[in-house]
Amino acid sequence: MMTYRKHYLLATIASATLLPFAAAAQTELTLWHMEQPPHRVERVQMLLDEFNASHPEIQVRQEPQNWGEVYAKAPAALAAGIGPDLLFAIPDFTPVLKDMGALSNISDFVAELDEAHDFIPSAVEAYSYDDGVWAVPLYNMSMNLWYRPSVLEAAGIAVPQTWDDWQAAAAALTGDGSYGMGLPANKQLYTDQTVYSVMVNGDAAEIYNADGTLRFDNPQTVEAYRFYNDMLQYSPPDAPSWTWGEAEACFASQACGMIMQFSVISTYETQAGGDADDLGVAPIPSQSGDEHNAIAYANAVMLLSRDEEKTEASKTFVRWLLQPENYGRFLNMEPGLFMPVTADGAEAESFWSDPIVEKYRSQIETVIDNSQNGMLFGFTSGRVFPAIGAISAQNVLAETLQTVAISGVDPAQAVADGQTRMQQLTE
Amino acid sequence: MKRPLRWNLILVAVLLLLVALIALPFWFVLTGSIKAPAEIIAREPTLVPQSFTLEHYVKLLAASDYPLYMMNSLIVASVSTVLTLALAIPAGYAFFRMSFRGRETLYRAILLAYAFPSIVILIPLFGIFAKLGLVDSRVALVLVNVAFSLPFAIWLLRSFFAGIPTEIEEAARLDGGAPFTVLRRIMIPLAAPGIAAVAVFAFVTAWTEYVFASVMILSDAKRTVPVGFSGIIGQYQIDWGLLLAGASLSILPVVILFAFVGRWFVAGLTEGAVK
Repeated sequence: MMTYRKHYLLATIASATLLPFAAAAQTELTLWHMEQPPHRVERVQMLLDEFNASHPEIQVRQEPQNWGEVYAKAPAALAAGIGPDLLFAIPDFTPVLKDMGALSNISDFVAELDEAHDFIPSAVEAYSYDDGVWAVPLYNMSMNLWYRPSVLEAAGIAVPQTWDDWQAAAAALTGDGSYGMGLPANKQLYTDQTVYSVMVNGDAAEIYNADGTLRFDNPQTVEAYRFYNDMLQYSPPDAPSWTWGEAEACFASQACGMIMQFSVISTYETQAGGDADDLGVAPIPSQSGDEHNAIAYANAVMLLSRDEEKTEASKTFVRWLLQPENYGRFLNMEPGLFMPVTADGAEAESFWSDPIVEKYRSQIETVIDNSQNGMLFGFTSGRVFPAIGAISAQNVLAETLQTVAISGVDPAQAVADGQTRMQQLTE
Repeated sequence: MKRPLRWNLILVAVLLLLVALIALPFWFVLTGSIKAPAEIIAREPTLVPQSFTLEHYVKLLAASDYPLYMMNSLIVASVSTVLTLALAIPAGYAFFRMSFRGRETLYRAILLAYAFPSIVILIPLFGIFAKLGLVDSRVALVLVNVAFSLPFAIWLLRSFFAGIPTEIEEAARLDGGAPFTVLRRIMIPLAAPGIAAVAVFAFVTAWTEYVFASVMILSDAKRTVPVGFSGIIGQYQIDWGLLLAGASLSILPVVILFAFVGRWFVAGLTEGAVK
């Protein structure tokens, strides 16, 4: 009994003495991401809890942020020494932090992950420039054409393949309070995305020449703007002021026959009845119908810590997140919106076993197929022009459309003015 | 003089139009928050709800941090209001009562604070607060809110003090009242409508402040309603029911405040307008 007491006493003393050291050895990481809706925060927390439990030496906590402020907030926080250790990014956000010296070249780490999981090349390319790789791609989003098969069938139209088909379909679906196509025309990111989706399908994907000079002002771009402006007549009168949410609501309420959107699955499921058989998704029609392209974003995570221990801990977390058994659950924080950027992620049971993903499997497979031809302005043909950050921050693509659609300027003049504006912003 | 019936009818029609212009958006938000999702986004909006559900409120309060954001907003707005009043009342009285060189110039100059858009000082202020360890704290928001409410509060309160008959104050002084006693016992009760107006102004300013709250606060647990709520709504996908329920709840504290001090607030504004 005495021995037991002595052992117990010694163990207590040892624990009391060593525990602070154990606590001190724990590396704490702060993750900023912009996936703020409650269900996404909940899913991220679930994964963090699992990671923290399986890696007691590391503690990751999330601090969700808003896309609207993060461009100003992250640089300010980093400059003040209170920034995050991990921060989600889209391609044109990374140059902002790289230019202020907040990023290190992580090409070796990305190569290691590529070896293990096989990244989609375009996802890595968007973060590869200036002899380095600056972020780890995490999930893809690509723009698609969404429609209801029953509505198209009732109007006797096939899924449009060419711009002529598309315009004819939109015209046929417009009338009696319904509109063929929901398209925005205001100065914000959604319009940038829809305009560029038309441009990439009209042989106007390249905004830059190979030497880095601007080539926005060209006949193909003018034609893309002219076509987009023509299509606006088949949109609801309030459509020019839309963002993503209004477009989805228009589609879900059947007021819009077709829209361009990354995904409508969540809204369709929760607010429009959720009949999977009556939800169609197709590549965005192209001018000739030969090849279909789409705007696509690979979202990524940047490792920001300067502390070696924290950097290693950050890498451990990213390695864990990309494991197929975790990765699918991460992507399904918003089922149908976030697509895998790795080959093993695209086949992961954890991705396909989600009930919503199972229900809309054919649509999601189409979205993944469409994303293979994904492009992003300023990040095309294997070349990256970080100066695009200033252009996209000012929504110049959308601004140019606005001058055509709202101010009535001729597309050729508007595109020429758009190029001048781009030059001013990047000089 | 009696107005002709035709003019009365026109007057009523114009009044009804104005009421509809003001009330209809609130009506759509409040009724929308209890509609089923399909009815909210229906092609033809319904003026009277055809469905009823509390699911949006349940989701908002149970599955999001909205209650936490409300609590943070209440703390920040209440403390900001109390501090604004605590500083504006003596300052307003001092501008009215005390004679010192440059008083009139200073009195007019305090409103210059509103000449600078808040965005201009956002980043420098962030740097200062970071050095003071105030970033990601509600104290930072209180300081900012008070700094922005105070000039107008002082300006408004001085005009209220100036409107109180000087005989009342002089009588109190003759009875031996010290300046602070006169202020506390005589002037504050008489300036109650003005103080109520300032309180509502300070509260609403703090309650709706977005720019500083969005940058100064880093962690979710300290967010106020405008910032936290904008995140809940989402970017690519909008849950309209959640949006309408959150918007409905967010006006509740302001409505309650107006219910308590609204009469004084209106009296305060109209009195201030003629002084």
